[in-house]
Amino acid sequence: MLLYGNAWRKDPFRSLVNFNFSGDHALARLSQSGEVAVTVSDPWDSEIASARLEPQFARAFHGGASAIAGLEFMEERFVAACGALPASATADVEELRRVKTAEEIGYIRQACALADRGYQRFAEVAEPGMREFELVAEVEGFLKENGAEDNFMLIASGGTEVVGMKPPTDRKLQKGDSITTELKPQVNGYYAQICRTLVLGEPSREQLKAFDIISEAQQAAEDLIKPGITAAAAARAQNDVFRKYGYGDYTGSKYTRVRGHCLGLYPDETPHILEDVDYVLKQDMVVIAHPNTYLPLSGYMVFGDTMVITATGNTRLNKTAKKLFTK
Amino acid sequence: MKRGLITWDKAELPPSVFEARLAKARKALAEQDLPALLVYSDVWRSNEGRHLTNYMPYWNRSLIVIPGGQPPVLLCGLSPRVYPWIKSVTVFEEIRPASKLVPTLLQLCSERGWTKLGVLDLPRLPHEIYAPLESSEVKASDVKLELTDDAETAMLQRAAQMAREILTAELPKGAGLTDYQFSGLLERAFRRAGAEDLILLFSTADSAPRPARGAMLGDKYSVAVALEYRGHWARVTQGLPL
Repeated sequence: MLLYGNAWRKDPFRSLVNFNFSGDHALARLSQSGEVAVTVSDPWDSEIASARLEPQFARAFHGGASAIAGLEFMEERFVAACGALPASATADVEELRRVKTAEEIGYIRQACALADRGYQRFAEVAEPGMREFELVAEVEGFLKENGAEDNFMLIASGGTEVVGMKPPTDRKLQKGDSITTELKPQVNGYYAQICRTLVLGEPSREQLKAFDIISEAQQAAEDLIKPGITAAAAARAQNDVFRKYGYGDYTGSKYTRVRGHCLGLYPDETPHILEDVDYVLKQDMVVIAHPNTYLPLSGYMVFGDTMVITATGNTRLNKTAKKLFTK
Repeated sequence: MKRGLITWDKAELPPSVFEARLAKARKALAEQDLPALLVYSDVWRSNEGRHLTNYMPYWNRSLIVIPGGQPPVLLCGLSPRVYPWIKSVTVFEEIRPASKLVPTLLQLCSERGWTKLGVLDLPRLPHEIYAPLESSEVKASDVKLELTDDAETAMLQRAAQMAREILTAELPKGAGLTDYQFSGLLERAFRRAGAEDLILLFSTADSAPRPARGAMLGDKYSVAVALEYRGHWARVTQGLPL
């Protein structure tokens, strides 16, 4: 069996060999007797990991395989080099990855602690006149300085015209803005996430009302999530809060993406928390519930924390105050 | 990851540059008697699509379709909520939501009456895209394009200049820091200057360059910077002592 990773989707490879390769490709070959052989495409990776170097990476697939985790992400020329088409092991390996070991949860706890500190920094430095990309530069620098291997971050600023987050623009922050962000620092391969909203200045009544709804929705998921609960139920619990306040129309894909997802070696692991996903959550899975939504009251607003599912419920791993931040 | 300033400065890269590039792609299509060109794009494999349309997915995957005689179409895995922003930084006027890329592509082919398609670098398509396309009614043919021109060279030179100038100015500041601390310092400097993406590798003594891991840099070290500036990558390595 092979586990393949490329520069974007390192996770199938890193689920077996947690080496942060910096080249384009890496491949782990797992034999039936349990031996692991690693091949990389970059000479520096080869030297650091004492791995076989194969600059013509298609050759790494000669000899074929029974199954490949990451098959879907492989370039077709690599698949062709296998000879007979191998089976995909991607879904099976992803299912194995969903339940985390104590060591993995430890890394995610570290990433959560860093996400908390990163958000604290975000809130400290954001000020009117600063451009979005300058704020992101500062937070990115802070997270790297404190040991983040990588970070996935989106941002938006403004008022009711804001419908979602994206990479930073050169827009200058203004008094009265809602500034939304999600931070996902990566520690030793594992991502954790925090979502918070900061208002520059005194929040309006509408911004406060929107936050009350969104935080109640997040709390509903946090109160519910435990082993045996479906992803659909966790999504429904959040959406029902919006419905209760007359904002049921804002629970669909036009105004939001997902009500959460799993976290691990990939920042957006499945199952997604959606009302049509019947996956049953298990102990030691790590999830975020985030009812991030556009509401006409406030524009796009975000709020969410990373949780580990315990035997009887869940433990919130972020320690950042659960509030609408103001400055 | 791509989280720096993604923009389109039309003084730096005028629309006429993209018009010329699209015309070149259409010429290649005409030579192979193909009605449209497909270009795959994801977070890391974005250079070809960026060259032709200035589009770069900061997340997820997309397919760019360049018809022979019509404007390009983006089949996009991202939410329609960000399409206005995408339109503001790319040449696209038409963006179609495509949570399932190949079915959306085949729908477009059906609408336009295309039974064949050129694919830029077909053997490098991800298997997940290649396999259903190959088994469809639409015949895919490999197309090669030379993606270089004067504007591309000028942008690459600008990216290299940025990487070189910032690294030269910042390099001495790493002495006595850990590679984590120095990484933070460099991230701030490069991102503030407009880097879209940045990969930093550090080397001390005789080791190969590697990502930061908390090692002390001492007074002899080197840094390899791969920097993406508006879709253009430059790689510069410098060591201390200079």
